[in-house]
Amino acid sequence: MPDVDKGTVRITDIGPPNYENFLPPIIKKNYGKWLYHEILKPGVMVHVSETGDKLYTVRVGSTRIVSSDFVREISDIADKYCNGYLRFTTRNNLEFLLDKEENIEPLIKELQALGFPVGGMDHSLGNIVHTQGWLHCHTSASDASGVVKALMDEFYDYFVGDKLPAKVRMAFACCLNMCGSVGASDIAIVGMHRRPPTVMADRVKDLCEIPSTIAACPVDAVRPKTINGKPSVEIDEDRCVFCGNCYTVCPALPIADPLNDGLAIFVGGKVANARTKPTFSKLAVPWLPNNPPRWPEVIEAVRTILEAYKDGARKGERVGEWIERIGWPKFFKITGFEFTKYHIDDFRLGEATMNYSNYARL
Amino acid sequence: MAGTKHKTPLLDDLKEGKWPSFVKELERAAQKSPRTDDLIGLLEKSYRDHIPHWKHGGMAGVKGYGGGIVGRFSDSPEEFPGTKEYHTARINQIEGFFYTSDVLRKLADICDEHAGGLFNFHGSTGDIQILGFKQEEAEELFQKCAQLGFDLGGSGSALRTPSCCVGQARCEWANYDTMHVTDNLTREFQNEIHRPTFNYKFKIKCAGCPNDCIASGARSDLSIVGVWKDNIRIDQNQVAEYAKKFDIKKYVVDKCPTHCMDYTDGKLTIDDSNCVKCMHCINSMPKALRPGLQKGAQIRIGAKVPMVQGPRLGFILVPFYDINKDKEEDYAFLKDLIRKIWDFWDEYGTNRERVGELIQRVGVGNFLEAIELEPLPEMVEHPRANPFIKFEEYLVADEEEESKEG
Amino acid sequence: MTDEQKQKIKAFTVNLVKEYHGKKRFKPLDLEREIEQNFQSENITRKDAKAVIKELTDSGELIYGYAGGSFLALPEDQTQ
Repeated sequence: MPDVDKGTVRITDIGPPNYENFLPPIIKKNYGKWLYHEILKPGVMVHVSETGDKLYTVRVGSTRIVSSDFVREISDIADKYCNGYLRFTTRNNLEFLLDKEENIEPLIKELQALGFPVGGMDHSLGNIVHTQGWLHCHTSASDASGVVKALMDEFYDYFVGDKLPAKVRMAFACCLNMCGSVGASDIAIVGMHRRPPTVMADRVKDLCEIPSTIAACPVDAVRPKTINGKPSVEIDEDRCVFCGNCYTVCPALPIADPLNDGLAIFVGGKVANARTKPTFSKLAVPWLPNNPPRWPEVIEAVRTILEAYKDGARKGERVGEWIERIGWPKFFKITGFEFTKYHIDDFRLGEATMNYSNYARL
Repeated sequence: MAGTKHKTPLLDDLKEGKWPSFVKELERAAQKSPRTDDLIGLLEKSYRDHIPHWKHGGMAGVKGYGGGIVGRFSDSPEEFPGTKEYHTARINQIEGFFYTSDVLRKLADICDEHAGGLFNFHGSTGDIQILGFKQEEAEELFQKCAQLGFDLGGSGSALRTPSCCVGQARCEWANYDTMHVTDNLTREFQNEIHRPTFNYKFKIKCAGCPNDCIASGARSDLSIVGVWKDNIRIDQNQVAEYAKKFDIKKYVVDKCPTHCMDYTDGKLTIDDSNCVKCMHCINSMPKALRPGLQKGAQIRIGAKVPMVQGPRLGFILVPFYDINKDKEEDYAFLKDLIRKIWDFWDEYGTNRERVGELIQRVGVGNFLEAIELEPLPEMVEHPRANPFIKFEEYLVADEEEESKEG
Repeated sequence: MTDEQKQKIKAFTVNLVKEYHGKKRFKPLDLEREIEQNFQSENITRKDAKAVIKELTDSGELIYGYAGGSFLALPEDQTQ
């Protein structure tokens, strides 16, 4: 709505810029006319159009959190090799869009010299989708960028190569709010609490809406209670599953615990429909400690999974498909992860996950 | 040390290694931004303490909008004054995440001048995020972005910024123009994006094919996925070329979830009436196989994160509709369906209840009736096994009436 | 909706938020329902309610807040 102030009109409700103005000419010309694509080598693919035109994409990993200078740097590179046209991907990678094949190698050389990893395509380890973590979020049970950096340093070769049995998509959520829905990934790492929140009894009334707080609990562990004459809440610690949702709606129920916050690892999920239906990741490791700056326990666990997967999966099998074929008991045996009562689903619909048959590899 | 002011031995460790270092990015921004310098110090404190140092709550926003700005206030403002207020702005991305160097540089200048010199490309929903400004700076940051053509994105109990895959801009498998739809819906629903009126968040994502490179089936309340109805187009010569490279029967035919393919004597045949459009065969032989020509979209509903009733993927609501024809009518069918879903959710949903949870609570049948869609077997894995059917029709012993609605 | 009705509804809405200050947070949806219910006899629709709320937030008489969900608050509530 117009808000005349010093002669300028306040701009609102305009949405994004028109995408058509940001497409390279080769894309505008061949929009909707693409015929096929080929992956030429890790991080490089060509799309061929019905017109015969060829669009080359060079993909590099990025950190998602980037400086303005990074943005200027990639802008300069894009100017040099592809007329300034680039895009980002759903997994926070960066793609340069070239119409000149001869620019591919010089571009890659320059990118590598600047420390950009070229890859993340085909049968590789993709960039890890992640959240803000300790960098910028009040509900985080762990840091995100740090864990991602630690993992990608360790498994760098899987990103820049394409020798895994199939693509591996890892994701990280610093708490159970799971911004980014990491729960349908080959390997999902999730920040977890394992102690109930602390009730700041005399602050509940001032800071929170008690009915909303009670409703926020997935297991009905939050109850109203008068404490010191003031309306407040209590937590039934027998029921509490430490999800932290009450804290999300009520600042007077902090749950962060430096000793007991940690990370869980879930495996075997996928979003794509190819060969098998999309499915959530399932619990492999319930809790590993937060051990910044490198989280060695998490790295070891992920290494165990990747090695077992590399050794055992057939070509084209995603992690979940490999596990379904060999069976979960064998997965736990090979990896050495302990199967505990925590692994058995006791939430709503948990009973649907039991094995109602005689099927067991003996 | 990272940055210039604070000792950061733990973060310094993360400057080593082959993968790009986010600490170096923070440092680059900190060279120009004292408040980002303090952000680095605050993060190091979290690394020491193993807990976040951000306060819960606190409001931040621009006039007239109920979203787009996410307030962040640190709990250690005396020690790190630059983080006393260090908010995030969600900036509506260009569809398909396409940019030019020119517009990126302008965004970089805005970020330096009006914030802490830090971006997310992109946030989880799909917006660009600009980090590191105070409430009093929000309006100018917003207007500078708007003058460049970028509105704020959604946050709070609103429609979140729709996003999409690269679609027809680059992908031969896109069955409809994902960028066009996303752009169109974003403009149609500006009010719902900027002025929260829902029980909770609502996300829309558009994928060109069931490979779902935007993860819409897991990450959006309403997932629009392109499919085709007719036969997969086969180039037998190209199939023969692939046959030289790998065992087509083992890696393609045998992997078909409905076993509708055959490869005998060098000829590939597909019983398309049994094809469920999983994309595996097309993925495996992009030069040989292409989606059919009768293209459209599927709509899935209800995906969400674990809170509160558990995680959900989207289930099929509309198995096929001609979205390309709908495009000629400005996506009237799609918008009408979306509004019906919102009306139902407004009417019957509770606070912080996602659409998927509401449907689960009231029953899919009731939901379908309300939004005027017929129940279809494509919506279910299989029909119910339990016999607890809530019949609505029954007979009454009456001379004149044979049957009566319950 | 006449201008007179609009002013009445605006006053009602702001007073409601004031009255419940510190006791209950109103989501925009909650206020729409309150308006619709209270002005039912005058044939005020949900659409009218939305339009009124939009005017209130555009002018800054009410501001949006967020605490695990969006709500509407008085401008003086904008604190850390």
